[in-house]
Amino acid sequence: MKKYNNIADKLVKSSIANPERIYNYLLYISAAFFSVLIIFPFYFLFVVSITPQHGLAEVRYLPTGFQWENYIDTLEIVPLHQYILNSIIIATITTVFVLIVASLAGYVFGRFKFKGRGVLLVAFLIITYFPGTTYIIPLFRLFTGNISLFGLATPDLYGTPWPVVLPLAGITLPLATFILTVFYSRIPDGLEDAARIEGCTRIGALFRVIVPLSAPAVATVGILTFILVYNEFFFSFLLTDSSYNNWAPLVHGIQMYEVTTVRGSPYHLMAAGSILGLIPVTVLVFLGQKKIVSGLTAGALKE
Amino acid sequence: MENNIKRIGDVVKSVANQLGGRRVSRLYTRLMNRIEVLPDDKFAYLMLTPAFILMTIIAFWPITYTLQMSVREDHDIETVGEFVGLENYYKILTNDANLLAPFFDITQPFYSSLTVTIIITIGAVVLSMVLGFAQALILNETFKGQSVMRVIVILPWAVPIVIQGMIFRLMFTPGAGVGVEWLDFLGFANATSPLAYSRESTFIVILAEAWKHSAFVAIILLAGLQSINRELYKVADVAGASRWQRFKMITFPLIIPAIFVALIFRTIESMRIYGTVVAVSGCGDVTVLTCSVINEFSRHNYGTSSAVAVILALIIASIVAVYLTRFAQRGGISQ
Amino acid sequence: MGDVILENIVKQYEDVTAVENINLNIKDGEFICLVGPSGCGKSTTLETIAGLTKPTSGEITVADREVTYLPPKDRQIAMVFQNIALFPHMNVHDNISFGLRLRNFDSKEVKKRVENAAEILQIKEILDRMPDELSGGQQQRVAIGRAIVRDPEVFLMDEPLANLDAKLRVHMRTELQRLHKELGTTIIYVTHDQAEAMTMADRIAVLNKGELQQIAPPLKCYNEPANQFVASFIGSPSMNFIEGKIRSGGFESTHINVDINIGNYDDLSIGDPITLGVRPEDVYPKSNSPEIQSQSDPIDAQVDVLEPMGDEIFVYLRLNVGAEDGPTVTETSSADQLLMSVDPDSDVSTKDNIELVIDREKLHLFESGNGNAITHGIGEQTALNQNR
Repeated sequence: MKKYNNIADKLVKSSIANPERIYNYLLYISAAFFSVLIIFPFYFLFVVSITPQHGLAEVRYLPTGFQWENYIDTLEIVPLHQYILNSIIIATITTVFVLIVASLAGYVFGRFKFKGRGVLLVAFLIITYFPGTTYIIPLFRLFTGNISLFGLATPDLYGTPWPVVLPLAGITLPLATFILTVFYSRIPDGLEDAARIEGCTRIGALFRVIVPLSAPAVATVGILTFILVYNEFFFSFLLTDSSYNNWAPLVHGIQMYEVTTVRGSPYHLMAAGSILGLIPVTVLVFLGQKKIVSGLTAGALKE
Repeated sequence: MENNIKRIGDVVKSVANQLGGRRVSRLYTRLMNRIEVLPDDKFAYLMLTPAFILMTIIAFWPITYTLQMSVREDHDIETVGEFVGLENYYKILTNDANLLAPFFDITQPFYSSLTVTIIITIGAVVLSMVLGFAQALILNETFKGQSVMRVIVILPWAVPIVIQGMIFRLMFTPGAGVGVEWLDFLGFANATSPLAYSRESTFIVILAEAWKHSAFVAIILLAGLQSINRELYKVADVAGASRWQRFKMITFPLIIPAIFVALIFRTIESMRIYGTVVAVSGCGDVTVLTCSVINEFSRHNYGTSSAVAVILALIIASIVAVYLTRFAQRGGISQ
Repeated sequence: MGDVILENIVKQYEDVTAVENINLNIKDGEFICLVGPSGCGKSTTLETIAGLTKPTSGEITVADREVTYLPPKDRQIAMVFQNIALFPHMNVHDNISFGLRLRNFDSKEVKKRVENAAEILQIKEILDRMPDELSGGQQQRVAIGRAIVRDPEVFLMDEPLANLDAKLRVHMRTELQRLHKELGTTIIYVTHDQAEAMTMADRIAVLNKGELQQIAPPLKCYNEPANQFVASFIGSPSMNFIEGKIRSGGFESTHINVDINIGNYDDLSIGDPITLGVRPEDVYPKSNSPEIQSQSDPIDAQVDVLEPMGDEIFVYLRLNVGAEDGPTVTETSSADQLLMSVDPDSDVSTKDNIELVIDREKLHLFESGNGNAITHGIGEQTALNQNR
């Protein structure tokens, strides 16, 4: 007891002598507090994911058992790996598509003066303000082949990746274009001129000089787009059916657990499935945390 | 990188050579030359064409189409009914439309949905702003483990909405979730089975939103904090300002623009919330406006559905307008 | 061959005319300098030749081919930029061979040409380095290497030495001259530094406000400037200008009168406002003037300020010595001042009253209104005039 008093005594004395110290303690305490606050839902999900079904009722803060087979079993109820694969493919196609289209747009927005530049940029911006509800009905009808254009019915794309890829490309395009516009405009004119004198076309100069020199920005846009597409709910959910054979993404995979609750309430399997679904984005966050921060701030603060 | 691109180019070229022979590659060269001789403005329009075709299909055309449908009657068999002017809007606003019935007042479906949406927006935005601000302030300091904390802060942002919903659903499921005890502790009446009740479900949706989206607020505000000129703090130190005074007189006023940016983005996002609601509790318990739109849509009431969507867009636009004028009044507009 | 012909080139931006009807006829192998103050349109002119800017009207021919609307890559030109513009993501070898690789040269030929260029420019050891590891001079050599390796018909150079320090700049000047001799390729070189133009060019094209003022060999521009602008721009320090009028006996101004046989010049008539120009080195103190045949009448002056430059002394003179109590400097208008340069061993000191003479052969007369030159050198003073 005396020992503790001593420590407390010292702490008080040193704190009075040096108020910075107290501030530092507070800093660490609050950093720890927020980290725990953020991590806890992940932790809980993980705990549930390794709990045997009979132990679910007792789960509070610590696991009541370790049943790693849950990760295998969960795939037997719902072939989640198929849905995850679909999502990864959809996100990859969208990312590549967005990078190309946004590079062309960012190139001219960032480096050319032309009539209507301002108006066109604003038109890009406005799109981000509209809720998905204003697009969903026409898009659903479009992708199910119910819209006729000049007397011809549009192709029925329902059950292909396109009903998800196209809207999500459209939604992520403004952010991608803005980030690339900012970065491409910073490449010195001389380099582009030099490339063109040496024999590049304007498009050649873009892909041989400007894009490679903006590689960090391009990677940022790539990571952001991939994560945004992988995470999306609204269009991914509403413009696909639930069959993985028809390119249904992760959303439907997770939602399948609600439909297929055949064996009681397999919460442990739902949790295991969710952990599997988190793996791709978690890897990306660890690889690209700095790029995510710079990309989001560049995009948001510019607008 | 440049070499890789060239290599890919070579591969494409050789594949093209094999597939279509010389003719294809000559056509390609001709096309590139044709593009190259365009004057700058025409070249710019050409380069923007893919982007604008996409935007037209995905956004511009659907908006006009939705507007058109919103002034047409709901029709059981035909997809597009008769032109009825603003009748759909009138019906919705006078509670004459048979919208999904939310919990507040079944006789006023639209206004109840709007209330739920606004409650969630206010709750989620306020909570995520406060939490995000605190996280940003912490991340702005230098301390051991800073980079670890930054990854932790970003993580929820990267979580798929459907999994975010699943996590909070599991946490508040009786018989598995730890959250049930918390609600009990907080004195919620229906704590034993919260997701079966609207009030508790709404609260949980707010928690889930705050958890996921404080990351975005933190990132934006952190950028704002880091753009503050460090010299200003030295000046304040020399003047003998305390930490709190420094915060009040330098930090806070200077990140007001960043706060507005975060606020606008967060509000827009929250007003159009859908996925979290569906994944946590379903539209039946927490009937936000988007739920009404989708519900009418699934009942093939395209007219009513479109009208609700347009009203929602207008409400969001007016909120953004209020923010922007407030922001302009504060003299904080930077551009 | 590497001829470059510009016909009536006009470049207008929304409300500014950058280039106003420029005609140039550059022969194969010539070293041409475009000089002028900033904003005179020299860089824009070069960019239209390069194809980086399209002219509003006019026609450009490079190597006997009309290229006005061709993209840069199809013009058989190479260019060196002021900010050097090496590709930071490629090493020196890849920078130099960039254009060759774009044109699908086989790797043997690429290697041969890069090595050859590296030899000429003495940069063989640094081929593997990245641009940010090089000194300013090395970077400039690599940029030149990138230009010569393609063996173009014409080199365009946009102030390539402007970013180098003074010593290196002088060194690179001689290097460029050596290179020009070795390769024999046409060079069009833009600079705002008249000294650079004087030392390197076969011909100088002087531009001002988007218009071509004169194109001629350096010494001709110096000795026989086409107008007052060229006269003031070429040569350092600048030429003295004295405004006056034509009287029956010749040129008359507040302090300086020069006898001219106006009958010899059709353009001169009594009462015309005329500007007389004389370079500082063509003004002498009467006491130690060299044996020149065509001295002017002596002029009274007082030494105001001396600027010893080492190899010569600039003497700032005041001409209004007649005034009783010598006016202060602030009251002295430019019409009362004259600049003279003398040998460093000359015996002049501040406040000296001295007599000056001017070499009449080196006098220039300009029309005061448009600045056009009337004549360069007015010959010996005739007996007729002397008797006046």
